[in-house]
Amino acid sequence: MKERRMSQSIEEQVLAFAIEQIKIRTKAADMEITAESVLTDLGLQSIEAVLLSGEIEDKFQVEIDPADIFAHDTLGSFVREISERLKA
Amino acid sequence: MGQYHLGLSTSGHDPALAIVDETGRVVFAESTERFVQDKRAWGIAPDHVTHLESALAAIGFDPEKDSLQVATSWKHVKADVPLQLSNVLLPSSDGLWLRELQSAAQSGAGATLLRLGLASVMPDIRRFDHHLCHAVSATVFAPASDAACLVIDGEGEVGAVSLFDLRDRRIKRRWRSWGPGSLGTFYAWLTTLCGFDWRLGEEWKVMGLAAFGHPKAELQQTLASVLRVENGRLRFADESVLTTAHETLRRFARAEGAPVLQAADLAASGQAVFADLTDQILTSCFEGAGGTLILSGGCALNSSYNGTIVGRTGFDRVFVPPAPADDGNAIGAAVLSWMQSTGELRIPVSDGSAYLGSSPAPKAVARLSHLRGLGRVRDISGDSAGQIARQLAAGKIIGVMRGRAEFGPRALGNRSILADPRGQDMKDRINRDVKGREPYRPFAPVIADDKVSEWFERPQPSPYMSVTLPWRVAARARVPAVVHEDGTGRLQTVSQTSAPWLHDLTKAFGSMTGVPIILNTSFNVMGKPIVHSVEDALAVFATSGLDSVLIDDHLIEKRDA
Repeated sequence: MKERRMSQSIEEQVLAFAIEQIKIRTKAADMEITAESVLTDLGLQSIEAVLLSGEIEDKFQVEIDPADIFAHDTLGSFVREISERLKA
Repeated sequence: MGQYHLGLSTSGHDPALAIVDETGRVVFAESTERFVQDKRAWGIAPDHVTHLESALAAIGFDPEKDSLQVATSWKHVKADVPLQLSNVLLPSSDGLWLRELQSAAQSGAGATLLRLGLASVMPDIRRFDHHLCHAVSATVFAPASDAACLVIDGEGEVGAVSLFDLRDRRIKRRWRSWGPGSLGTFYAWLTTLCGFDWRLGEEWKVMGLAAFGHPKAELQQTLASVLRVENGRLRFADESVLTTAHETLRRFARAEGAPVLQAADLAASGQAVFADLTDQILTSCFEGAGGTLILSGGCALNSSYNGTIVGRTGFDRVFVPPAPADDGNAIGAAVLSWMQSTGELRIPVSDGSAYLGSSPAPKAVARLSHLRGLGRVRDISGDSAGQIARQLAAGKIIGVMRGRAEFGPRALGNRSILADPRGQDMKDRINRDVKGREPYRPFAPVIADDKVSEWFERPQPSPYMSVTLPWRVAARARVPAVVHEDGTGRLQTVSQTSAPWLHDLTKAFGSMTGVPIILNTSFNVMGKPIVHSVEDALAVFATSGLDSVLIDDHLIEKRDA
């Protein structure tokens, strides 16, 4: 149970950080972004998607490959993969 | 039975191969361009069949008993990341071309083992992070336990800067820069603006030209506007800023065919901006480094900047490897493969020798005594350093091909053209009559390491010619052929241990002339790689203004020389 709370916490932290960064990069502070948001609908250019990966790598000290983000449809799916690596 | 590790530089440009034995020792390393005699060897496989075949023969590899594990210098294929390439500073077609070449090099790596009968199916390939390969390759040549290991180049797996911590020779990445901000790209752009071609590796010309100009505030401001440093990471400015900067600087760009010196101020301004940006990156590297910096990546070839680091930035020791650019990564990949196989976590340290390439083929050397049509042939073994010193003091320009070739872009005495640095006309003679290159290009001095402080300010070791230092004012008039326009020299320091023959030569020349310094430039002509075979050396000898050529201990002199 404790482990589950911990994993949710990490996932939430990564998601919140990713949303914050996407809003900065897309300059759309009022846009509603959730885990279900489709990455291609968020207005992120490919270079911004790569930079977002870098911000997450720096913040959470987790190794990310530049191609990772492009392998996911939704933000939540990408965030889950990163969170799994953080737990490993 | 021995397990060897074959590291391949798979960038698609500057391919190279390196072989590490089961003890972790680098037993062979050589750039493909030397073997195929094609500058930068664009698109040629780093495990080129006959090159690999000759390398394996050189190390005594026995296909019946030994095995070969292949490793590449990139983890990923760049083209797999769907990035839109900017077209502002450099043509995006160049970027696409590089991606395609890297993709081909990555996918084809190891296929030569099939051709050589060393594998019956495509072998398993180990793939390592590009900047980690740079860092490990550099650390092999750095006898330091703890250091900051900084990689700055044109492009890595995710960006163009990575900082690694070396602690007890274990390496760990601290951070890396993401995105397209790149000092390598910046310098390539500057090279283009100065009227040169970065694809030909002409960044050298910009660095040399900078000494003739003066940084101009307007140019510096515009050049600096394209890049910023944030906590060590590089970021290019927005596309609109890049476009404005490019349009502004186009007015100052040197047109094709215009006098080279027209671009001197632009080159000096760009070099100053490069130095300022690199200084900013260094400020993020001090922590825990104990004052020691290992610098690698293509930008570590900027010897003008390298010479300014010690005593000014907080680092008191700087190590730059003999091959900091992508060719050197072959060593990193091979060593990482060895570490993976053995479970060793500490990076091995080498004896520091850069003489890791091919030796002159014995059969070709044996034929020399029969080639009297080319000139007088003499065996001068026993006193070759003394005899060459006498010839140099008499004003002769001599090509030297002795022992194993150097790994990396610099000729360090084994594939060099040597001359007397004292003559006012020597620089012009070599540029005009031998190398066929621009008259402003400088030449390097070789000096024994215990003499450096007598001749140079800020004395420090430079065994791989990676540091440029100011000559002492009183020394400049004594060696005009190796003093650059700004009073500096890109020196090679030698010792009895690191380069015994060259050390003996400087000593003998010093005894004869009072100047223990030799002019050293690479044994090639402009546009061609450094000579590889005995036949390459003889071709340059026969078709240039060289007076003599020394191949091992055989001296061949032109009859009218």
